[in-house]
Amino acid sequence: MKKTVKGRWRLAVALGVVATLGISGCGLNEDNGSSSGSSADSVLRIGTTTDVSNFNPLQSLSKTDSWILNAMYPHLLRIDENAKKAPELAKEYRYEDDGKTAVFDLRDDFKWTDGQPVVAEDVKFSAEMIMKYKLGNVAAKLTWVESIEAPDATTVRFRLSQPYAPFAEGVGFWMSIVPKHIFENAGDLSKFPNDSNWVGAGPFVLDSMTKGQRYVMKRNENYPLAPEGKAAVSQVEYRVYPDVNTMMLALRNGDIDMMGTPVPVSAAKTFENDDKIKLEKVGALGFAHLTYNMKNEYLADQEVRQALSMAVDTKAIISAVLQGDGQQMAGPISPVFSDYDNTEIQPYPFDPAGAKAKLTAAGYKDANNDGFFDELNFGVACDQSNANITRVVQLFRESAAQAGIKLENECVERNTFLTRTKNGEYDIDASQWGVFDNPMDQLRSTYLSSNPGGINYNLLESPEMDALINDAAGTTDPEAFKTKIKNIDKVVHEQAYLTPLYVENFRFAYNASKFTGFVPSPSDLLGMVTAYSLAQVTPVQ
Amino acid sequence: MVRFVLSRALKAVLTIWIAITSTFFLLRLLPGDPTTLMVEGDMTPEMQAALLKTYGLDRPLWEQYVSYLRELVQGNLGISFRQIQPVTDIILDRLPWTLLLAGSAFVLTVAVGIPIGVAAAVNRGKWLDRALQGFGISANALFVPSVAILLLVFLGAQLGWFPIGGAIDPDTRGAAAYLSLVHHLALPVLSLVLVQLGPYALTLRTNMIEVLGEDYIRAAQARGLSARRRVWKHGLRNAILPALTLMGLQLGTLVGGAVLTETVFAYPGVGRLIYEAVGQQDYPVIQGAFIMLAVTVVIANALTDMLYAVLNPRIRL
Repeated sequence: MKKTVKGRWRLAVALGVVATLGISGCGLNEDNGSSSGSSADSVLRIGTTTDVSNFNPLQSLSKTDSWILNAMYPHLLRIDENAKKAPELAKEYRYEDDGKTAVFDLRDDFKWTDGQPVVAEDVKFSAEMIMKYKLGNVAAKLTWVESIEAPDATTVRFRLSQPYAPFAEGVGFWMSIVPKHIFENAGDLSKFPNDSNWVGAGPFVLDSMTKGQRYVMKRNENYPLAPEGKAAVSQVEYRVYPDVNTMMLALRNGDIDMMGTPVPVSAAKTFENDDKIKLEKVGALGFAHLTYNMKNEYLADQEVRQALSMAVDTKAIISAVLQGDGQQMAGPISPVFSDYDNTEIQPYPFDPAGAKAKLTAAGYKDANNDGFFDELNFGVACDQSNANITRVVQLFRESAAQAGIKLENECVERNTFLTRTKNGEYDIDASQWGVFDNPMDQLRSTYLSSNPGGINYNLLESPEMDALINDAAGTTDPEAFKTKIKNIDKVVHEQAYLTPLYVENFRFAYNASKFTGFVPSPSDLLGMVTAYSLAQVTPVQ
Repeated sequence: MVRFVLSRALKAVLTIWIAITSTFFLLRLLPGDPTTLMVEGDMTPEMQAALLKTYGLDRPLWEQYVSYLRELVQGNLGISFRQIQPVTDIILDRLPWTLLLAGSAFVLTVAVGIPIGVAAAVNRGKWLDRALQGFGISANALFVPSVAILLLVFLGAQLGWFPIGGAIDPDTRGAAAYLSLVHHLALPVLSLVLVQLGPYALTLRTNMIEVLGEDYIRAAQARGLSARRRVWKHGLRNAILPALTLMGLQLGTLVGGAVLTETVFAYPGVGRLIYEAVGQQDYPVIQGAFIMLAVTVVIANALTDMLYAVLNPRIRL
């Protein structure tokens, strides 16, 4: 009898195991194609946080998608270590016709992986399809385009409705170039998934994938921007770790060689005692800020905005929130853009008593003697999932109280926050802008009253600012353009439309005992995983 | 019996319909729309309108609902906003991994929970019982992600016994692939089992103590039946009935736990898919995944009820 009972259990357990294994066994490794690196190959494994959501580079808006797609589809320009535009597919660009025509001269040695050369028609096709189907966020940057010409294989002309100084930089940097001879057969490009048989012209091209787990890219044997005419690494593999802590453990264990996503400030110390892991510091292309809603009758008062700016202890914020790893800002232009940052202006000093005196002089009263000015009671909206910003709001509330200004924390779930900012339902917006590739686009998006869909969180309608911005936007002479941007920087600072808080430094971790030669560029969007950077990486012998 | 099965099946269908409807409306009652999350910064109203039209979000809510149900009846879960692929394909890609994870955890919880509960009941008041109770009560307080992170740090990173993340080494083939599968599965399953085991063992212990005090057990003892037989054959058969209900309920918890476990362990199942889709407000994927999981849990519960009815005919009355 004993044996029978035991036998039944064994049978049940065995059946259970077989059944469960069988369920997934039918799909075991089925997606994996031919490529699995042999020991002689050098495979660079990078941690990413999520699967590729859209393989169509004209349409994709995801940061993590761009890590993979940018390595496959060239851009006209790239951004270098100093946040300046550098040549990629385009050798150079210029303006003609008083700034109403932007001309790109292309290299002639880029090739698609099916052997076809990358030509001006590919660039023309990519831009026209984006305009036709309103694809991705590049569509907004092509607003000024009236027509595009490709007179020969290496020249592209964009005819604009009006001069726009950073047009070439913006489009050159953001727009992916796709192979016309492949994509033109796909019909409606807004519905084209591009999820197999990839043809690219970057240093690496997707070869196979196991969804939810990894994306394998093989080397393009002809990539002219790599030192040897092709990347030194033969294969790049992205592995998916949704949780950043797990990704850090995977790096330490050698499962991956670098993290695509920045290491959180609080966690950077955990790599200090690891000889193999190196942290590369990269500046941000955006910055954290407090922006004041001009539709609020009290915030529309310049004195109140200046007093609020004096009630923010940015140095303490940088020290407490970023553990000192960030730069202070004065005006709205980040010091990352050294050519445009107006170094003559200084941040408002932290002086709550001075702020209080300023408000009293301006006629604000504390009738009930509760320590707060009667009218100055504002809500500060933020995205509660951003731990740094929620801490900023807390510190701001404490320091503003010293100046007699009562603040309420209105940090909410991310999507609610985005909706509220879109609709202008807040007094003060505390947030961090992601990526600005040039100051003109930034000023236009944030302050131009007629810019629909921009991020004019001030809800500013100022004819003076409009005139200054439109004047600068039409200035294609580089020196005059810089002077005009610096002047706007000064005006925004004096008006205290916003209080800039900090430019964050990002830290990217990689295994320096296995790979070297990364060329990082500013921002967490690109960081270490640009096409150019991946093409320069070499395995450590 | 046929009537019972039919009424139970009808209830299951009704539950699934409620799940579908509430998921559909709850998602749309969330503030904002998915296009807000898609393009930050420069999005012209025309671009936003084009996106809303593409996804059918510009139509009245009831129209969206009716069209969704119509498609659903034809087995079409829609197209993902983000991945531009049929949701059915996306989910079917992930479902086997979740079934494997939740299934293994379920089987293991039952297989280990029964002997633990029985041993505690038989040794009532002794050190073994106290230890098991202590474990049961502590396990009840465990939180899946905390357990998962602890296991990952100690067994995965520090001791290096288990891989950090993933479901299988993609380069393996044949038997090695199955070994790799089990190797990757070990920690996620262990974290789910550790959390589930406590309540399960404690319930079984209580039931068992009650049953062992019944007259028919004492009668069996008087008849000279061995202790082992009394406990395992007569006692367990009756004590396990209420535990069946718990098993059904645990399936729901397992599915919820899978979202957290799969995220921590980078396990490519439906749970992680939900985590990602919620972040992106990809309505069709969230809806599809919830429906798939709701159907799984409802069917499992219905089967549990029917099994209960078979084992205890009084339930049908």
